[in-house]
Amino acid sequence: MQELNYWEPGNLLEAVSLLSNLGEKGRPLAGGTDLLVKMKQGPANWNGIVNLKGLTELKGIAFDGQTITIGALTRVSDMMADSWVGLHFPILVEAARSLGTPQIRNIATIGGNLCNASPAADVALVFLIYEARLHIMGPKGARKVPVQEFYTGPGQTVLEPGEILTAVEMDVPPLNSKGVFVKHGKRKSHEIALVNVAVLITPQPGTKLIARARIAVGAVASTQLRLREAEESLSQTVVTADVLERAAELAEAAVNPIDDVRSTAAYRRQMVRVLTKRALQKAWGGER
Amino acid sequence: MKIPISLQINGEMYQVQVPVQKTLLAVLREDLALTGTKNGCDSGECGACTVLMDGRPVNSCLILAVDAVGKQITTIEGIGGIAELDPIQEALVAHGAIQCGYCTPGLVMTAKALLDSNPHPTETEVREGIAGNLCRCTGYVKVVEAIMDVSRH
Repeated sequence: MQELNYWEPGNLLEAVSLLSNLGEKGRPLAGGTDLLVKMKQGPANWNGIVNLKGLTELKGIAFDGQTITIGALTRVSDMMADSWVGLHFPILVEAARSLGTPQIRNIATIGGNLCNASPAADVALVFLIYEARLHIMGPKGARKVPVQEFYTGPGQTVLEPGEILTAVEMDVPPLNSKGVFVKHGKRKSHEIALVNVAVLITPQPGTKLIARARIAVGAVASTQLRLREAEESLSQTVVTADVLERAAELAEAAVNPIDDVRSTAAYRRQMVRVLTKRALQKAWGGER
Repeated sequence: MKIPISLQINGEMYQVQVPVQKTLLAVLREDLALTGTKNGCDSGECGACTVLMDGRPVNSCLILAVDAVGKQITTIEGIGGIAELDPIQEALVAHGAIQCGYCTPGLVMTAKALLDSNPHPTETEVREGIAGNLCRCTGYVKVVEAIMDVSRH
């Protein structure tokens, strides 16, 4: 392995300046659960590591009653233990429980799960249905990007050289909303999803109507997807088996999976239909 | 490039010079001869390398040694020995939950962290707690029984 250079910047601006000077030659280190595996897999086109651990401004969770802000360096297990996250964003905790193993959740960070940009990521998928906004700092200043505009391909994001994801911010959904996260794999723990689905349904109070539905799927396209057509088909409708089946069919039609070692494209496509319907049924909770 | 660092392991400070890419696991085993921590997959899959970092179980193969500076590391050498076994070790022996033994140090560390934070877990909590420690011999039943046994005392 070639020699690696190493830095521990003491603040965000120093880290941005280091990473923008290094360009493709540098990699930020957060938890490292993905970076170290890649490093061990052999020669890379980068030779410098910028450890972000000294950036205290990227740590911690803040809640103002309406919006929660999760620092990018927050460990997955710390997010799971946060009482505001548990109360208002419960399926984020559910998805996090299926990320890796307890040991990995004690190392891996929320920002890393997003920036690694795996189409199969569990926690990142749920940020799509909570319509999270990502805080980014870079050489040209700060910007906010909606999470659905963050990914450009597998392992690819809109982050430019020198830009660092600093936090994730989400608004509390309407209190009567119900979310469901479903992960499909060959085993219960330490699994990369064949397909994962997250849904959030907001009923119209006092009626049998769905006011709004949000559906996101992972591992079935080059990036994680919000399924707008399927969502629209549910908006302002009365829930029946046919309506849910129709939404599930639209979901299946919207994905573009591949064959790989974990599954075939055909199976993944079929599972999108089955799991979307199942998630919607569970979120709606039967008769009202 | 070698970097001089100090690591706090089992309550003692150790000074070592490490290349950037060297993992905490490699430093423990190769520089400090703390070979109780095992190297299984070296990629965060198996849990044989589990140590405690500030009291929480982590894969030492996924942490750079330079990144472990300032943390309190506990290895299997820090929690019991032949003269005085930790109750978890005693229970694993009593239940026949050890066969080849390769996963055992990692399992002991994970079980210790689990019981320290949750002294009376349900069986489901135990099974979820050790989901990151692969054991190819026991089928986990005796391991789970041993940890449940410790939690009752």
